[in-house]
Amino acid sequence: MATNTLSTENKFTWGGGKSPFSVSYGKLMMWIFLLSDAFTFSSLLIAYGFIRYSFQSPIHNEIVKPLAHVADNFVEQMQQAGLFLQDHWPSPELVFNHFPFVHGVHLPLFFVSLMTFILIFSSVTMVLAVEAGHRMAKDEVAKYMLLTIIGGAAFLGCQAWEWTTFIGEGARLYENPYGPRSFAALFFIVTGFHGMHVFSGVVLNVIIYLNVLNNTYEKRGHYEMVEKVGLYWHFVDLVWVFVFTFYYLI
Amino acid sequence: MEHTEHLEHTETPKDMKSQIWKTFWILFAFTIVDIILYFILLSNHSMMKNWVFIILGVVKAYYIVGIFMHMKFERKSLMYMIVIPMVFVVFLVALMIIEGDFTGLLRWIK
Repeated sequence: MATNTLSTENKFTWGGGKSPFSVSYGKLMMWIFLLSDAFTFSSLLIAYGFIRYSFQSPIHNEIVKPLAHVADNFVEQMQQAGLFLQDHWPSPELVFNHFPFVHGVHLPLFFVSLMTFILIFSSVTMVLAVEAGHRMAKDEVAKYMLLTIIGGAAFLGCQAWEWTTFIGEGARLYENPYGPRSFAALFFIVTGFHGMHVFSGVVLNVIIYLNVLNNTYEKRGHYEMVEKVGLYWHFVDLVWVFVFTFYYLI
Repeated sequence: MEHTEHLEHTETPKDMKSQIWKTFWILFAFTIVDIILYFILLSNHSMMKNWVFIILGVVKAYYIVGIFMHMKFERKSLMYMIVIPMVFVVFLVALMIIEGDFTGLLRWIK
């Protein structure tokens, strides 16, 4: 019996006892999960692209220059100036122009760029944790995991602030002072869905971090769990790259 | 029967750390390019503009998936399994943007 298994193993890639993709089962399944999750996000972004282009393109803003003063009734002013209309998609630079602790200044897309950099940076610390895991350097893994958690939490905080500002201006799932209703609805659904992924990623990272501190992976002999959660975390970053491209640039 | 999975070692470059930081700066630079292009092309509403941003997004995706997610160093079969479906998805994104534009034409025609 034993020799039989052995001979199959040698002859056929798919005969069992071997990983044809040369990755462990868990990692392969993580890849397949990420592929299906990518389809979910793609459907949202495809819907966004379709709805965005079935409206008329934003009207070019020549009134407000970067760093210009922004009044409290900025949205009303823009409505009167004819830049926020119901049949025109609003220009993202006029909608997302707030920055925490800086009041009354037009800072187009500054905050969302900062969020992008925070997420890319937390992706880097994650991959550094994975790299340290290959060397079995426990302290380094722990350090980089903690930095990744901080990055993720900072991103979530930024998103909460952005939502608060957006809602504060009167945007709802079914209502939007900036223009077409679907603009606000898609914003909440797309960024909300992504934020939910970031949140679950942070929870997973915290679990891994605690396991690292408890020597779980030291005892197991490898840090592959860090790699698997790392894959998920990079995926979240990857999705943000496209959310950023679609929602704020296109 | 004791079964220990013996995985063939997929090669990781020795200078992984420097590769990671290099990738970070590339992603950083592309994001800056994205933002600058957005402001340069602000008054432009052609379809070409979308392709520019989508291609830039795909380039960033290449670096994230390739280096950060280690896909570049995995087996080719795994890479094709994940990447090929996504190629068709990007194609669908492009199609639906074009289709949305036509829907817009019909909707706002006076």
